[in-house]
Amino acid sequence: MRFSYKSALATALVALVAASPALAGDPIRKIELFTRPQAAQPQEFQSVQLIAQEWRKLGLDVQVKAMPWEQMSDVVWYQRDKWDTTAWQMVGRPERSDPDEIVYNLFHSSTAEKGYNFIGYVNPEYDAVVEAQRVEIDPAKRKELIFKAQELLAADQPNMMLVHPKSTFAYDKTVWKPESVVNQSGIGIRNTWTFMALEPAGEKRDIIVNSGDNVQAINPLYISGGVDSWVFELIYDRLARVGPDGLPKPWAAESFEFTDAKTVEVKLRPGMMWHDGQPVTVEDVKFSYEAVVSGEAPMYAPFASNVESIEIVDDATLVFKLKKPAASFVTSSLAKINLIPKHVWEPILEDLKTKETNAESHQEDKPIGSGPFKFERWLTNEEIVLSANKDHFNAPKADRWILRIVPNVEAALGMLRSGEINFMGEFTGDPQVLIAAAEQDGDLEVVSTVDMGFRYIAFNERRAPFDDPAFRNALSRAVDRQLIVKAAFKGFAEPSNSVVSPALEFWHDPAVVSGLTTGQDVARKMLEEAGYTLEDGKLHYPGDKKEELAAQ
Amino acid sequence: MSHLKAAASRTLQLALVLWAVVTILFLMFRLMPGNPLAAYIDPTFTVEQQEALMAQFGLDRPLWEQYFIYLGNLLQGELGQSFRYREPVAERILALLPNTLVLTFSSLIIAYAFGILAGAYLAWRRGSAVEQAAIPLVLTTRAMPEFWLGMVLLAIFSFWLGWFPAGGTRSAGAEFDSLFALYTSGEFLTYLALPALTLAIYSQGLPLLLMRSNMLDVMKEDFVTMARIKGLSNWTVVVRHAARNALLPVMTSFAIAVGYQLQGNVVVESVFSWPGLGRELVNAVSASDYPLAQGAFLMIALVVILMNLVADMLYTLLDPRVGHA
Repeated sequence: MRFSYKSALATALVALVAASPALAGDPIRKIELFTRPQAAQPQEFQSVQLIAQEWRKLGLDVQVKAMPWEQMSDVVWYQRDKWDTTAWQMVGRPERSDPDEIVYNLFHSSTAEKGYNFIGYVNPEYDAVVEAQRVEIDPAKRKELIFKAQELLAADQPNMMLVHPKSTFAYDKTVWKPESVVNQSGIGIRNTWTFMALEPAGEKRDIIVNSGDNVQAINPLYISGGVDSWVFELIYDRLARVGPDGLPKPWAAESFEFTDAKTVEVKLRPGMMWHDGQPVTVEDVKFSYEAVVSGEAPMYAPFASNVESIEIVDDATLVFKLKKPAASFVTSSLAKINLIPKHVWEPILEDLKTKETNAESHQEDKPIGSGPFKFERWLTNEEIVLSANKDHFNAPKADRWILRIVPNVEAALGMLRSGEINFMGEFTGDPQVLIAAAEQDGDLEVVSTVDMGFRYIAFNERRAPFDDPAFRNALSRAVDRQLIVKAAFKGFAEPSNSVVSPALEFWHDPAVVSGLTTGQDVARKMLEEAGYTLEDGKLHYPGDKKEELAAQ
Repeated sequence: MSHLKAAASRTLQLALVLWAVVTILFLMFRLMPGNPLAAYIDPTFTVEQQEALMAQFGLDRPLWEQYFIYLGNLLQGELGQSFRYREPVAERILALLPNTLVLTFSSLIIAYAFGILAGAYLAWRRGSAVEQAAIPLVLTTRAMPEFWLGMVLLAIFSFWLGWFPAGGTRSAGAEFDSLFALYTSGEFLTYLALPALTLAIYSQGLPLLLMRSNMLDVMKEDFVTMARIKGLSNWTVVVRHAARNALLPVMTSFAIAVGYQLQGNVVVESVFSWPGLGRELVNAVSASDYPLAQGAFLMIALVVILMNLVADMLYTLLDPRVGHA
């Protein structure tokens, strides 16, 4: 009797286990995956198609939605609880050679509500690590913290990192000596160092560069389009410049030195001149930093807001007092803030105080800097002409730098071959077309390098099931990155699992990338272990979890 | 008196059309999905910056308020400030308009000169093998997409033969004292050739077919028969009598064609890197730069409305039978 009671219990238990699907959670709703359209972003679109295919194999119902950037960013950025997953990208910029901007602003919980942490990633341990690296002045210790941050991100997979694309540029080697071309790590050969160093191989002495985008402004107090920065980095000097190796170098400052964690002593290089012939003084330097935080230049303000005071010690020395220790200060402030002449900008800023608009709307007729190139003229949407500043301490070897606006990428390639341009500063087409053209032509040199920027799929952590790290991990691991590299990027990319690009050799943690095992079996196993079940080919939530969002 | 009245009603009509255009433009861009602040999204983009930009662009105000501010500014001739370029819209448009007008009118003049001559010729040779081959050819060129045609011309005459440069209005770094000096230079002609030819091929169909059918009509009229009876030479009949009369509707269609041509410019200016209003319009729309897009559209609408007025006036001038209705 007793025995049969036990056996009855056992049978009941077995029956319960067998019927366990009844206990499983709801089926997961249809998941939306945003991408920009094929015509605008072929590689992104192709990647997303491949990813959706792999996710569907896991039993998810995935709907790819293609929409233009303005529309996509409007939802992702301003309606933060209204989307599931989206393709996204970060582009490389010299000041991003310091990992702080990326590791902090993209994932710190303080930027989740309205800042760049639009995915809503919140991890107190991660917050602590990136806060600590911010104030750690010792590079070796800071490197450990940056590695730790990369490991935490790899474990949590708040985003699914895809690739670091390669930037591909080309130039005419019968016009420019190949040995004079400089590769800036993570940026490529189209950079300020190259434009200063390019040495003519023959008669032609004008650097003629193309850009697909129009120049919006040449304004040292306004962070505008990417192309604009090519121009104003040549016209304006900064105290430091990010060097070809990605680390900051003294520039208009002869030297800079942390005397303690919150004090930086800067020695100004002697003999510098503004393009109008006036000398560059320590007053100009102090003015440049104060202008940025005067309220007239809100976009630059975050880069100088950590400066508490600037003291002029003598004709050549300034002391910067910081509010908080800041490890990235040299890269993100000294190498970012443009030096501007006080005698030009003081009256302008005075005048602007009485107006509604700020300095970001002020376009000078002839911008005056102290940089290696001088402004000559600007024809709206057609070209910009700069001439070499032969008096500069690092005077360019070319005579002029001319930017031609060419929205038609095929035409740009034709122009490179015919000599209408001699340095391809932007090529949005298929890099293989460029390489084939170079082989056919014989005069062209094509250079591809790994970019600091990256492409990824952002998961909206505010919405289940993306709030579950195991689920995100499984989705991420379902996709072989080599497939993305080969099929979507035609080999012009590096597989990625870290926001810190391998181009930033010092900060990049290679173990994080090699540790990412991928495959359908790996992903399935992770989902199974986390309690997700597959029924009739549809993936269900673990436990008794309900679907709270109706499929749209 | 009747002249005065006609002029007044004409002006009122114009004002109404303009108001409608302005209102539609205002609503169109604001109802389009997308956000002008999208261009500023960046890891260093702070909440304060977002709010400051919203206020600066006037986007924090209700729609109706934005509309009245916009109307009020327009009445004062103020087109506003471009979101993207942070500069007055009027300045940008005035910098780009001359390039667009030169391209539009030069291509239309080529198209009409060719279209009128060829149309008259085809009417004269009605039923011949030449006509039978030419008409399908004209229809084909009329149907070709301009960007495709532009790319083909680029590939042949620029990349392959190397006869013409691939884009822009002047060689890199070339300096001219004025726009007039540029437009009258030989160099400019080499840059103008391909885009103008593309647009001309695209637009020659209308004057050609119009001229041909008008000629065919006119040739049946009594005064032509009369001329033939008088024993005038074939040439005199066709050119002095028939063509002059057939020309009238073709000439007025020129004014209206300017409007269509401006549409074609949007594409051709991008293919040939031509710094004109059409390309700017595309950029402004895709960047949700409302003030600039509105300004550029308004300028194009103004040109079209003005050309329609010119067409009307031309008609009364050329054909006194058409009076003030």
